[in-house]
Amino acid sequence: MTTMTWTRALRRRRRALYISSPIGLGHAMRDAAIADELRALRPDLEIDWLAQHPVTAVLETRGERIHPLSAELASESAHFAAESSAHDLNAFQAIRRMDEILLANFMVFHDAVADGEYDLVIGDEAWDIDHYLHENPELKRTAFAWMTDFVGWLPMPEGGDHESFLTADYNAEMIEHVERFPRLRDRAIFVGNPDDIVPDDFGPGMPSIRDWTERHFAFSGYITGFDPGPLVEARDDLRRELGYRPDERVVIVTVGGSGVGESLLKRVIDAYPEAVRRINGLRMIAVAGPRIDPASLGAPAGVEVRAFVPDLYRHLVACDLAVVQGGLTTTMELAAAGRPFLYFPLANHFEQRRHVRHRLDRYGAGRFMEFDEASPEVIGAAMAEEIDRPIASRPVERDGAARAAAMIAELV
Amino acid sequence: MATARAPERAPSEARPAATPAAREQARARYSDTTGFIERDGVHVFYEVYGAGEPTILLLPTWSIIHSRFWKLQIPDLARRYRVITFDGRGNGRSDRPTAPEAYAESEFAADALAVMGATTTDRAVLVGLSMGAQRGLLLASDHPERVAGAVFIGPSLALQQTIPGRERVNDFSERLDTDEGWAKYNEHYWRRDYRSFLEFFFSQCFSEAHSTKPTEDAVGWGLETDPETLIRTHVAAGIGDRDATLARIARVRCPVLVIHGRDDRIAPFAHGEELARASGGRLITIEGGGHIPNARDPVKVNLAIRDFVESIQR
Repeated sequence: MTTMTWTRALRRRRRALYISSPIGLGHAMRDAAIADELRALRPDLEIDWLAQHPVTAVLETRGERIHPLSAELASESAHFAAESSAHDLNAFQAIRRMDEILLANFMVFHDAVADGEYDLVIGDEAWDIDHYLHENPELKRTAFAWMTDFVGWLPMPEGGDHESFLTADYNAEMIEHVERFPRLRDRAIFVGNPDDIVPDDFGPGMPSIRDWTERHFAFSGYITGFDPGPLVEARDDLRRELGYRPDERVVIVTVGGSGVGESLLKRVIDAYPEAVRRINGLRMIAVAGPRIDPASLGAPAGVEVRAFVPDLYRHLVACDLAVVQGGLTTTMELAAAGRPFLYFPLANHFEQRRHVRHRLDRYGAGRFMEFDEASPEVIGAAMAEEIDRPIASRPVERDGAARAAAMIAELV
Repeated sequence: MATARAPERAPSEARPAATPAAREQARARYSDTTGFIERDGVHVFYEVYGAGEPTILLLPTWSIIHSRFWKLQIPDLARRYRVITFDGRGNGRSDRPTAPEAYAESEFAADALAVMGATTTDRAVLVGLSMGAQRGLLLASDHPERVAGAVFIGPSLALQQTIPGRERVNDFSERLDTDEGWAKYNEHYWRRDYRSFLEFFFSQCFSEAHSTKPTEDAVGWGLETDPETLIRTHVAAGIGDRDATLARIARVRCPVLVIHGRDDRIAPFAHGEELARASGGRLITIEGGGHIPNARDPVKVNLAIRDFVESIQR
């Protein structure tokens, strides 16, 4: 006997499939925050996640439902790790060179939604889904909410004219897709505000990125993965809890979960003698993360090296200064916590060097540092200058997740 | 008898000095087993992915590129089926024999049978692109018991219609007084400026807008072989003229699917149409599509291959 069951439309539960980009850890935190807000608005909504490492690590601790086909996804984060070297990652070329993985993962997604049981797909920088749905519009089976924190591939100087041609071509294809098939993105949400958008054009003779994005996106404001407000208000208690004494000047050095940051960690550790000479009560903590062997860093006495720090964001709220890479999530966590920081964007990384930097400048947060030009002495001096500078950055909104969820909830 | 050996063995002929191969980008899926078959001293490299039924044999095309041109098919098909690829002699990790006869169509078909033997594959669904159609036709017509079905993508066959402007290809060995357009398809030009030929040729293959990545990939694979090898593949024997080709098609008994871009500037669309009609097969026309839809419209092509395989299974 073969059987099948078909559920009458009005008897169906509300169901969403959430795809959160695994490139960097930041999306997982903000998407979990959005999911919480979404469930508050639609209590009967069931959310499944088509997700891979490291997103799954965040989701599993929260008891989220992982779609079984997630196991068949090809690793995007491993590809990005393979594309990077020292303090360098050409993010645009890395995306291009990920075409095979993106296609393979789109096919997995296609199978996950093929039975028609989902009402909604939410894609936070799920490039594969957005691109291939526009290439195969007849395959759209659900409402689709698209989210991103930057719009526009931008060339890096080292790529020369050819890279300018390529980014313009990729932008042109995206624009043609969106304008030809406005029915595909039922919601397009820019994680940020119009002023966060870079002032560039998409390419020679092409529209202004800001004008076009304002016409085609709604704006949620920035979305932090956690609400820093209560932590900031009780910062003295937090410091006590974490073992940071009032007279200590705590500097946290972190490069996130990637293996890309070893050169930066070593360079900042080398800056310790200069920093300790200039900063009374300095306590430097270097977080190696899961991919870097703490012993390989050769830290001198006085520098604490930790392999892993649970709830690192709480330490970032509590610290006196942070030294980080140029990724959006960590830098904006620091901006939201009102902490001073030095950030070192990766070479050739258009998102960190152009989009993120523009946003941080707007908030007046952090001090841009050029890794290639920063000797240990320069870093030590910059640390001493920034640690005592009064914080004058703009406040970061705290309702971004709720605003995004309200826009998405209209679809389901 | 096929021999399995370490994949890192060097080919018997020195690699071309043209340009070192670019670092291969991360794959979505890596092969489960690899090996070489050896026929008449020529080693041919194969890879096997997945374990499902049936086996899909993704045939090599013209040796201007190697088996990575299936990169957008392998990971998807291998989730369901067992997938075998091999580098056509003359490129990739297969040898580059120096005799033109070694590149006859019958040799590629014999390599396919040897790979099937080495991987204990009694029967497979064949999928071929462009020149792969000739190998596929040889196998389907001469070895019907080994072929469960055949998919021909942008088939390049010796039927009558030609692409306007491509007549210069007939002057392959002449010394021409121009390098414009298809005059680049010329052995003297290949020796003079191989990369520019590759860039021209693949610009014709990828007639669709926004094809920078597949074009770069293909040029890179082209640079992994060399003009002398490619000249040998050009002068080697095909499967015969129009009558011989139609006679072969008439002997095909397995289910056939043809996928052909209407804007194919390498293999005329009419070839695919005639192949589908003569074989009683199904034709999927990609309106606006060029010569290599498996690279440019991979979702459509993968789903079409899946549907075809499922229709055979039923």
